[in-house]
Amino acid sequence: MDTKVTEKELIYLYCVTKKTPKLKEAEDLVDSLYFIYHRGLFAVVSKVKFAEFGEENLKRNLANLEWIKHKASIHEKIIEGVMKNTCVIPFKFATLFNTEDNLKTMLGQHLEEFKDILKKLEDKEEWGVKIYSDLEKLKEVIIQEDEEILNIDKEINSSSTGKAYLLKKKKEELLNIATNKKLNEYGEVSFDRLKEKSTEDRINKLLPKEVTERNDEMILNSAFLIDKDKVEDFLKIVEGLRTKYTDKGLFFDCTGPWPPYNFCGFLKEKIHNG
Amino acid sequence: MDRPIKTLQDKNSYLDLHRQERVTLLEVLDRALDKGVVISGDIVISVADVDLIYLGLKVLLSSVETMERLRGAPMAGAQEEPT
Repeated sequence: MDTKVTEKELIYLYCVTKKTPKLKEAEDLVDSLYFIYHRGLFAVVSKVKFAEFGEENLKRNLANLEWIKHKASIHEKIIEGVMKNTCVIPFKFATLFNTEDNLKTMLGQHLEEFKDILKKLEDKEEWGVKIYSDLEKLKEVIIQEDEEILNIDKEINSSSTGKAYLLKKKKEELLNIATNKKLNEYGEVSFDRLKEKSTEDRINKLLPKEVTERNDEMILNSAFLIDKDKVEDFLKIVEGLRTKYTDKGLFFDCTGPWPPYNFCGFLKEKIHNG
Repeated sequence: MDRPIKTLQDKNSYLDLHRQERVTLLEVLDRALDKGVVISGDIVISVADVDLIYLGLKVLLSSVETMERLRGAPMAGAQEEPT
């Protein structure tokens, strides 16, 4: 393979592995997918056009949703292809180098960190759980169960119009407080249950409805690093939570296995004894 | 272990392939654009650019209000860190 980089091309880095990566499955996705070996690590890369990924044009392309969808899917599929056979450190979308030498320099600088991360990730999978809440449905449940609210309801029925109005206001307020309390409780209980089977966990920022395009609110966006032989147990827990909370208007979106995007940070990882 | 590489554990979404595709895309973008090892390569995408990408996810997004929500304002009734 000609690995000489011409001026008009950049090196796009997808992931780093310790074992020789198998690229057969992913090689149709881009032109010239290959790996660069450096001091015990393999970097899976492809050449991309400067005209497409150079600073100015990249900025323009990032405003084009179709372009991003297409390129992000390729990024993901290449890494997924490689991780079928070996543990990977996934890099962020559009990690670009001018030359192979620059990439090797970077690998050299972080050699020990990368090796440590790969060791940590061995025989583990990332799974994601997003929990959504149908607030109206939850409120209906609370109205029928919360004693304080039931009492106010009774009072409203036996009150004058003016007093009933004020009580209704109060009921509204109590309902909102109770709803928040329940959401926090469900989120906490679910997260605690889920992390029982994981070696590490992450809580990520909630995505707004405009992004999720769902009618219900995201109340938890979490990721878990799980030993491969504990994944079945983990999925059973998800099933259990689903059974427990479906009536309360919760929806569990569980996906995986993912490349361990959430668990390859350099900084001291928050490790709990799961 | 015998299970597909990408399991969407939601029976309903199997009924709606388009939805499933969109969900998967959301997951991919949420990860590939926002997570993964961040190395200062030779060309750097700034955080602002990533915000733009999220905006692009829903074409109708143009209001400043939405920009502000995306910048991390928590949802009403939701909790960021339930620990």
